[in-house]
Amino acid sequence: MGTRSKLGSTAICTLLVLCVSVFAQETHVGNLVGNAKRGKALYTRYCIFCHGPYGDGRGESAPYLDPKPRDFTKAVFKCRSTPSGSLPLDSDLFDTISRGIHASGMPSWKPLLRQERVDLIAYIKTFSSAFQEEKPGPAVEIPPESPSNPESIQRGEQLFQSMNCWSCHGKDGRGNGPSAATLTDSKGYPITPFDFTSGSRFKCGETDRDMFRDLVTGLDGTPMPSFGSAMTADQRWDVVHYIRSLSNHKMHAKVKIEPVGQ
Amino acid sequence: MKLQSSFVAAGILAALMVSVGPLSGWAPADAPSSVKGTVKFDGAPPKPSRIDMSQDPLCAKAHSTPATTEDFVVGADSGFANVVVYVSDGLTNHNFQPPAQPAVLEQKGCQYKPHVLALQAGQKLDVVNSDETTHNIHPNPNNNREWNMTQPHGMPMEQAFAREEVAIPVKCNVHPWMKGYIAVLKHPYFAVTDKSGNFEIKDLPPGTYTITAWQEKMPPQSQKITVGTGEAKTLDFTFKQ
Amino acid sequence: MTMRWSRWNRLRWLAFGLLLANIQQAYGIPAFARKYGLPCSACHEGWPMLNNFGQHFKDNGYQLGNERDAPIYQDPSYWPIMFRTTPIWHRENNNRQIIDATPGSSNNGHVEASVTTSGFDLHGLDVITAGTLYKNISFFIQPFIGSSDINLAQSWVRLDNLAGSSWLNVKMGKFELDEPISQERSLTLNNTGAAYYTYFYTPPGDTNAFVGIGFPQLGVELSGHNDATRYSVAVVTDSNGGTGLPTNQAYDVYANFNQSFEVPWFGRQQLGAYGLFGRSPTYFQTNNGIPIPGTGQGNRSFYRVGAYGHWFVKQFDFYTFFMHGYDNVFLGNSVPANQPSLLPLGAVAPTFNGGFVEAHYNPNTRLIFLARYELDRMSRQANPSIPTNAGNLDTWTVGYRWYPIMSPRAGLAWLQEYSRISNAGAAPLSGKDDFHNSYLMGFDFDF
Repeated sequence: MGTRSKLGSTAICTLLVLCVSVFAQETHVGNLVGNAKRGKALYTRYCIFCHGPYGDGRGESAPYLDPKPRDFTKAVFKCRSTPSGSLPLDSDLFDTISRGIHASGMPSWKPLLRQERVDLIAYIKTFSSAFQEEKPGPAVEIPPESPSNPESIQRGEQLFQSMNCWSCHGKDGRGNGPSAATLTDSKGYPITPFDFTSGSRFKCGETDRDMFRDLVTGLDGTPMPSFGSAMTADQRWDVVHYIRSLSNHKMHAKVKIEPVGQ
Repeated sequence: MKLQSSFVAAGILAALMVSVGPLSGWAPADAPSSVKGTVKFDGAPPKPSRIDMSQDPLCAKAHSTPATTEDFVVGADSGFANVVVYVSDGLTNHNFQPPAQPAVLEQKGCQYKPHVLALQAGQKLDVVNSDETTHNIHPNPNNNREWNMTQPHGMPMEQAFAREEVAIPVKCNVHPWMKGYIAVLKHPYFAVTDKSGNFEIKDLPPGTYTITAWQEKMPPQSQKITVGTGEAKTLDFTFKQ
Repeated sequence: MTMRWSRWNRLRWLAFGLLLANIQQAYGIPAFARKYGLPCSACHEGWPMLNNFGQHFKDNGYQLGNERDAPIYQDPSYWPIMFRTTPIWHRENNNRQIIDATPGSSNNGHVEASVTTSGFDLHGLDVITAGTLYKNISFFIQPFIGSSDINLAQSWVRLDNLAGSSWLNVKMGKFELDEPISQERSLTLNNTGAAYYTYFYTPPGDTNAFVGIGFPQLGVELSGHNDATRYSVAVVTDSNGGTGLPTNQAYDVYANFNQSFEVPWFGRQQLGAYGLFGRSPTYFQTNNGIPIPGTGQGNRSFYRVGAYGHWFVKQFDFYTFFMHGYDNVFLGNSVPANQPSLLPLGAVAPTFNGGFVEAHYNPNTRLIFLARYELDRMSRQANPSIPTNAGNLDTWTVGYRWYPIMSPRAGLAWLQEYSRISNAGAAPLSGKDDFHNSYLMGFDFDF
């Protein structure tokens, strides 16, 4: 009686534990844990008209919006700290919701409680099975910034040329490069490259560190690629310095977001 | 008593592993069968147009005569090139191991070589930039993870696609004329037609299969075929406008 | 002396009735939903009541701050004007109303009787256009078309985020003061319970030109906010929002400050304090004994101060509000300041205390329940002839609003409300407590 049945149940239990630990992926931001059920009520209140009841970006208002609301069912996100092709970290989604996306219909949801934002993220992740099947890649390491001096800016300009940034962003960074008119996002909607001279705020954060990170991660779902392996860290800082030099405007941050970290 | 019980435990675990492992239940046939044939295009195909690469001098200088679009490549004898022919039904639900040899997608003369690449799910994909200019390789899948990487000349890049998808469009945002396709199959029974429209699917175990021909512009066509042990069957497809 | 008090009392309640008739109705602004594609529920707990996101949107000058706020980003088919009206059925009852003993004849004297009226009704039409004239320049215009007149309820321009700071915003025009809980956005519409009485409270015998913080005022306001803190300071002319300079060189200052903080599990809590300090004229220059408007003289001071809180327990939230009021002795006794001999014996400056508790239950975006209890108590009457409990009132209100559709283009609410007020000793003949109650049901629609 005892030994064989005990072993059988031990084996089954072990397998179950292995299965559960792979699939139990909670949402954590700081010391807050997200609750998808609460998140659903919040989504219905705040998000449903743009992002749609199925999270596919086809809300009632979506036909009138440009750029279109994010389709969560694809699990492809622009603003991340993970490599291109990877899922975002929970903190990436939290930062995006808190900051909003400039020059788009996505407002800053900072007036919501932090717990509410974490609950929303937990619910958003239920729209795609990718969040159950995969784990996000490792967060990009951002080394200390190299000094911003004319030499760095000049090196950045040369990289801007050799890395073919100009073909989309234009020779002066105005977003009017020869390929600009042909660009579409991954859904096929026309998309314009960023105009660095406009003094406008960058969509995924406006500090130099954010720009460095964007160069490594690329903006998934858009034509902006990852330069992770294509340049060294110093080269990336040079490009950041050059891009900053293209605009005379001071970029005012209306909504100061402290990155949450993991 | 204790030793016995640990053997039993090992045995249970081993049995569990074997039942889901990739190696059991699919022994290659002693005398493999094959399916070969030709894909033709019936009628006058649209003429390929010239590609203006003047935007990037490094691309333009790679072509003494201007390059042409590759979405409709029909040979002299109406052979339809760049058609993916693959088994779409009839294989048992089996975990096929991808080959160790990577598939290679080359960016040469600012075009994708091959224009249509077929590989297995999980198989390594080596992306090579043979051009002096910097490319940006951006597949846009529906059933796989989307990624988008910059690749200067000579930088190595290795990727893979986890799930079957026929086919994933690939573009380069820097060079808007660059278009290619990657067909990902979860088994090794596929081929891409050559310039004369010929294909051969080798080492097929005997059975009844549905073979599908996919071309980037035409609706796909399927045909059923039964292959006996050691048989080499012929199957042709004809596309028309 | 009793006669004098009761005459003032009747006049006061007549004024109150006029006030209630002119209270601007509550509103939500679908034009904003149309502009940004957001549902009404994004900014409103249950419109018209704002939630924290909506409050920030309003504090920011009706801007989301995502660089799509300027009018140039509006969809060409966007209709920036909002219409609102409320077709209802309601029933009013006054249990001790003074009527002729024989209808049509004044020969048989008066009696007190319970009078009930009911029927279908309409509250008039609100037309509102609001939003941005330009980035960081916002505006609000609200004509109200009533049954017999049209008046401009609000009309103001605001320069937002001066010097790039959310702490500096300047508004000028006719605007609603930054009250702890907005009168304009009250969830109730019925005749008895539409107003927060404490906002409009005037002691018996008092004819202060400033009727209450609940009316839109004419002036200028400096305000600012960050994520958790809000302040506003307004200087208004002491005419209760009346245009044409009806008083004269009399100004009131209103200040409000609140701070919110997050309590784990419970939600956001907010604590605040406010004060209104003003001066009102006590007499006017006259011509042949008739007062000349705009020539107010003998300004005397008054104030309204207090504290409040907005508390959340998950989907329940409630307001607690307290006010202490004081009117100068001349204002309190309606005596010109240049004739102190007219002050009755034992005249003093009247003071009162009042407040309310209002609770909401908001189980989902389509339903909100409310209950309110409000009371006002005179702590010191203006002169000994006024009964101690004169002017004291208690009101109860319960109701709910159901929103059958939630759309980014328009709003519809079905509502039912019941309110009851008891005025101490206000029955005109018997001097007993006087009760009014109102029951209302109907639609509130907002396009």
